[in-house]
Amino acid sequence: MSSDSSQPDGLRAYFGFDEQRESPVDNKLRDLKRRKTLRRLWTGLGIVGFALLFSWSLDTVGFSLTELYVQLPEFAEALTEYFPPTTYFGFLPFIDVMQYWEFMVEAELFAASQVTVAIAIAGTALGLPAALFFGVMASERVVPYPFNFGFRMTMSIIRAIPALVWVLILIPLGGVGPFTATLAIMIDTTGYLGRLFTDELEEIADGPIEGIRSTGANKPQIVSFGMLSQVFRQFIAWIAFDLEHNVRVAISLGIIGAGGLGLELNIQRRTFHYTEMMACIILVVLLAGSVELLSQRLRSYLREDDDVEQTGILEAFVTAPKKIVQSSMGKR
Amino acid sequence: MSTLTIQNLTKEYGSVTALEDVSFELEDEFVVLLGESGAGKSTLLRCINGLTEPTSGEILLNGEPIGESQPEVGMIFQQHNLVEGVSAYMNSLTGSLNRTSMLRSLFQWQPREDKQRALEALETVGLLDEAHQRVSQMSGGQQQRVGIARALVQDPTCLLADEPVASLDPSSAETVMSYLKKAARAHDVTALVSLHQVNIAAHFGDRFIGLRDGTVEFDVGPDGLTPGLVDDLYGNVETVGLATEETSSTTPTETEPEASV
Repeated sequence: MSSDSSQPDGLRAYFGFDEQRESPVDNKLRDLKRRKTLRRLWTGLGIVGFALLFSWSLDTVGFSLTELYVQLPEFAEALTEYFPPTTYFGFLPFIDVMQYWEFMVEAELFAASQVTVAIAIAGTALGLPAALFFGVMASERVVPYPFNFGFRMTMSIIRAIPALVWVLILIPLGGVGPFTATLAIMIDTTGYLGRLFTDELEEIADGPIEGIRSTGANKPQIVSFGMLSQVFRQFIAWIAFDLEHNVRVAISLGIIGAGGLGLELNIQRRTFHYTEMMACIILVVLLAGSVELLSQRLRSYLREDDDVEQTGILEAFVTAPKKIVQSSMGKR
Repeated sequence: MSTLTIQNLTKEYGSVTALEDVSFELEDEFVVLLGESGAGKSTLLRCINGLTEPTSGEILLNGEPIGESQPEVGMIFQQHNLVEGVSAYMNSLTGSLNRTSMLRSLFQWQPREDKQRALEALETVGLLDEAHQRVSQMSGGQQQRVGIARALVQDPTCLLADEPVASLDPSSAETVMSYLKKAARAHDVTALVSLHQVNIAAHFGDRFIGLRDGTVEFDVGPDGLTPGLVDDLYGNVETVGLATEETSSTTPTETEPEASV
């Protein structure tokens, strides 16, 4: 360990940059040390690079802790409006839930929620045929390489423009309202759902395709029976997922004026009616949450096929938090 | 009633020759194709079915050359190649695709006789009661029998099977083979079945063709399959255990332990 020769250049030896040794094992050890040094250098460089990028980002957005501190009292005041306090039975302090309820009834928020859901359902259903067409045609298994690219490109371009921007583009066509939002979601679905279909088709097995081919089926029959029949369940699951996604999109489209719950939310924010705004947000959470729950349920039923435990709707609500966590951890 | 004629069939994959000048003629027989893995059995069957294009030579069915993806030829695969997500009945019905238009097949508007034929084929392989079951829920042997049913619904004049029992346990293998033979006899078709298990082959075959390195090694009747022929065909494999002087040099696994001791 404390041999004389290694003592003077101990630091160099530590980093693996000392002279060649005689035994192959010692040489390998030196080599491994050197690799480790290089790896650490790169990691250090990466950390420094990210730190620079991060500080630039904070600077650009004007992030400031003092600002937060100064504004804190105002936010606390807003909080009491978000969650208006009251006392029940004369002594039990809690949030005044009735204020939300009264506003929900008065402003017909449930009707607004229906508009939001209607936008999502109509948009998904209208976009579905195009999504199916583009999704299937973009697959290399169906259309040979250079030709499938046109369909792929079309979907990429659609996806490059967010639904929020599609609404802006389509306003001259349908005005500012639920109709335009539906058109925007239709286009968004074509690009988004179509891409999911294509990805699903890339993973199908060759065996059944060959099996159908061996029966003397023609090309469209090979595609529908050999390929699409393999991914039928997955397609249904993706449609449920896209519907869930579109409900959230419909809410955000409402905020820029396309009607429904989002529109109501934005009106209350602009008029500083924070309690009423929170009433809208509570409905948003309930709406998005229950749609997600239903679609989650359907998808897990379809995906896991026969192994899925047959649980009732009540148990679904009980196990929902766990499932939502699982899905957000990437199990989806 | 059918005649399958293979004339000077050759198939090359790049520089590798899978089949070399193979010729034989089959007429309403149950023929077993024997040979090592890589001897060219699968390639031969895929050529006859039209799934693979031969490099040269001719394949005639009842005197007519075979085209691409031939409905006259029913094929049974080792991995059954069924659509697992749908029922046995639906899979059996896909055998009728070649005589159904796209639209009709998509909405299941096949003629009633085709639907009956699909169920009759399942009855032939003993799966009528399970017709509604999804294929993914069935056992390997049952799946392979659905594969036979699908081939029968095609109403073929020639039936090919590529190692249909290779991934099955011995008892399921025998069940599948007896259904295959029964189906071939009932529909009066020529059957060409590639097999690994010599005992099963000997039990079911009317005639045996041995392939080795892409050429026909033997072509014999029911009494012709002698242990000597089989030993010749699987020569390297059979003699590994014996490790006699002339083979020891070609089997490095035999010599290596000796050297290390």
